[in-house]
Amino acid sequence: MWLSTAKAGPRSDWCLTPLLKCVCPRDRHKSLIHTFTVHLADHVSGSGHQSPGLWKHPDDRSSDFNSVKHWINLAQQLEKGKFHGMFIADVLGGYDVYGDTLSHAAKSGAQWPVNEPLSLVPAMAAATESLGFGCTISTSYEQPYHLARRLSTVDHLTGGR
Amino acid sequence: VGWNVVTGYLNSAARNLTNGQDQPEHDERYAICEEYMDVVYKLWNSSWRSDAVKLDRKTAVYTDPELVREINHKGKYFTVPGPHICQPSPQRTPVIMQAGTSTAGRAFAARHAEAIFVSTHSPAGVKDSVADVRAQMVKNGRDPAGLKVLAKFCPILGRTQEEADAKYRDLAQYGDYEGALALFGGWTGVDMAPYGEDEELRYVKSNAIQGYIKNLIRTAPDVNGGKWTKKTLAQHIMGEFVLTL
Repeated sequence: MWLSTAKAGPRSDWCLTPLLKCVCPRDRHKSLIHTFTVHLADHVSGSGHQSPGLWKHPDDRSSDFNSVKHWINLAQQLEKGKFHGMFIADVLGGYDVYGDTLSHAAKSGAQWPVNEPLSLVPAMAAATESLGFGCTISTSYEQPYHLARRLSTVDHLTGGR
Repeated sequence: VGWNVVTGYLNSAARNLTNGQDQPEHDERYAICEEYMDVVYKLWNSSWRSDAVKLDRKTAVYTDPELVREINHKGKYFTVPGPHICQPSPQRTPVIMQAGTSTAGRAFAARHAEAIFVSTHSPAGVKDSVADVRAQMVKNGRDPAGLKVLAKFCPILGRTQEEADAKYRDLAQYGDYEGALALFGGWTGVDMAPYGEDEELRYVKSNAIQGYIKNLIRTAPDVNGGKWTKKTLAQHIMGEFVLTL
């Protein structure tokens, strides 16, 4: 539970849906969300994210994003630096509107190439104690049954982080 | 784990994931998303009792079938009988996050979000949209104090102002102008290629651009005296306008 220092408590059993249809189910457990400032580090599972071109800097390591060690190091560094969580943004296609071509994004490394973010989370969770994780996932291209399973799996593997 | 719920904005994604079609229009995407949330909440919260997994070697019961049930969701967009295929995880429902301040986006946040992302140069720039989400939360029977607002900022740190300035200049020289405009094109669907470098965008004949620029002037009033050109836009995305704290 990455917005909280508390362990996630037991949840009510299969009673929420009729009562709380279309409203966030955790409101019943709002004590889980504390009122401290949340520090999140924002990334994308690629090199560029929203700073196109910075991969050219001689000290840049973001182009190591294909290596799981890169992410483990990053997560450990964030935890050491007292960050509460790490957020990984995502897109499912290239930025091809400008000039009607993908060339500008490809050349400058503007969120291209980009890997799938949720896969990174269990590895980073295994290498840290308290860092939480968030990922962007679209509801437009994946069946809810499938996504519910993917998120349940990662919630199990991270112990709710 | 946390989930930033999005409906997507890139037609390049839709073309590859929906057999060549463009994405449904914005409000339709949110209508689909709304039912989607209904389905996943049912799977996570209403399908398994917390004590359903027995792991009882003596009675030879792994999961008690009486404590797992179908959800039988039948809606406009989804038919999902269930039950959920996973036993309840520590959080059951992940932390729900939302980004984006469109009318549909704010309504979604007011129903579901525990945290929202905002992008602004000052608290005043997002005051109205945060207040609106909180007011709608009250209408939905939610406690508005439960919402966290996550403001994006990118600090350049140094022991002295000079050191921070030098670091910033070192980083800024690598920003990519065309890459910045490529990002803008994806976010907004607007192709800036036809416009001149110094053309003031407030006056171009495109509702999408005018709307976006109006929003930028509101959230970042300090940039270039409110005069937004294609060049200003690219520089803004490359992070060339910084506040010294």
